[in-house]
Amino acid sequence: MYKIVGIFCILAGCMGLGRLKVRQEKERIRHLRELIRIIRRMQDEISYGKHTLPEICLILADNVDDCYSPCFREIHRQMLEGDGTGLKEVWGEQMGVCLQNLPLQEDEREIIRQLPACLGLQEETRQALGFEQAVRLLSGKCQKAEETYENKSKMIGSVSILAGLLLSILLL
Amino acid sequence: MRREELLRMFPEKMRHRWQGMADLCDNLQELRFRAGQPVIVVDGGREKYVDLEGRIVDRQDAGARITGQEIEEMIQHLCQYSLYAFADEIRQGFLTIQGGHRVGMAGQVILEDTGRIRNIKYIRYLNIRIANQIKGAADPVLPFLYEEGRVCNTLLISPPGGGKTTMLRDIIRQISDGTVYGQGVNVGVVDERSEIAGSYMGIPQNDVGSRTDVLDGCPKAEGMMMLIRSMAPQVIAVDELGSSRDMEALRMACGCGCKLMATIHGSSLSEIQNKKYMRYVIEEGLFDRYVVLKRANGRCVMEGVYDREGKPCIR
Repeated sequence: MYKIVGIFCILAGCMGLGRLKVRQEKERIRHLRELIRIIRRMQDEISYGKHTLPEICLILADNVDDCYSPCFREIHRQMLEGDGTGLKEVWGEQMGVCLQNLPLQEDEREIIRQLPACLGLQEETRQALGFEQAVRLLSGKCQKAEETYENKSKMIGSVSILAGLLLSILLL
Repeated sequence: MRREELLRMFPEKMRHRWQGMADLCDNLQELRFRAGQPVIVVDGGREKYVDLEGRIVDRQDAGARITGQEIEEMIQHLCQYSLYAFADEIRQGFLTIQGGHRVGMAGQVILEDTGRIRNIKYIRYLNIRIANQIKGAADPVLPFLYEEGRVCNTLLISPPGGGKTTMLRDIIRQISDGTVYGQGVNVGVVDERSEIAGSYMGIPQNDVGSRTDVLDGCPKAEGMMMLIRSMAPQVIAVDELGSSRDMEALRMACGCGCKLMATIHGSSLSEIQNKKYMRYVIEEGLFDRYVVLKRANGRCVMEGVYDREGKPCIR
């Protein structure tokens, strides 16, 4: 009886881990889409609204997913009331903290952290286009993740069941 | 000007040098930066220098010099790392920062094929003019700006740095809130250079009165007509008239029943009369009052008030 319960627990645990992994991948896709939307919004605010970046951060704080909102609000606050530290540093630091616990890959985090590196252009359309490379890179990653999501989730599901069975056999 | 507001103009690595200066200057008017030259601080009408330790010194040779790179960093910081947002202003050679302070700049101008200025590069000269809101600055002038409880069309005349904008700001505030000479009225301000109200994200940083609507960053001529159509102002206020288009818009605004408050560069009424685009306006008697201002001992003082015919109301 105990063995059956044990096997059931191991299987349930492995399947749970598998589901978690699948969910993380789903979350990653959601965050990539949200980040692309954020950069697109920044481009629009630059080229159409001609807002400064701290202003854009304040606008974004009210219009993005809750997990990004405090980060943008803090960037805006530090840019206006801070000790004069540059946007690149403030952005890098705040984004680093914000993205740390999100299910993103390191190179995806780096793309966002390095976003202010393309600043400094005096023409709004060109400045907005400066962010295009980041959008392209993230879109590529998002598209790839979406394409492989179905197969990957099925594979993770099967592997987790098989791993659970294997573990159960080994422990018996 | 508050110490924090002054320090906020400088990037982090330059702040230590300016901390001492920010504590010492209580009547700061101007900061002049020229690449390779000592920084000049105009405090209470007197030129001073800042040494490497941030102390105010009188000797030029003791003043700390600023590099072109530092000026570039300052511009980036003043523009909040968003040069594109200030491109039109930079093209005109100035930008207005939070608080309504004006940053004049000079460098190498890049022209388009049409001869129009496209950009300024290698900006190596900065002149930061500190906007000071002095509540009560308009008190000596106000009695002359009303006739039977109604605001008169008024033109403020002074040379650059003479205190026109400070005076105009306080006049707007007082006629908007109401004074002993007349009730408060709706005032429409066309703040082309964001100097009058010093708006940040649409909110005036200076007190311009409770019945004042501000059209920020809009060219004067277009702005006056927009305000008349949309906000029904009783008084329209604009800073630094400078073209025949502005005069046309003033005429039209006056024809719509609005009263005018405007400023212009000049040192006397006769000098203004000699300006081509002003002559007809004066001859037509568009303005009821001409207030001539000058700066004495670092303060803006009224030199004289003249009526429509140019006769002095006070001397």
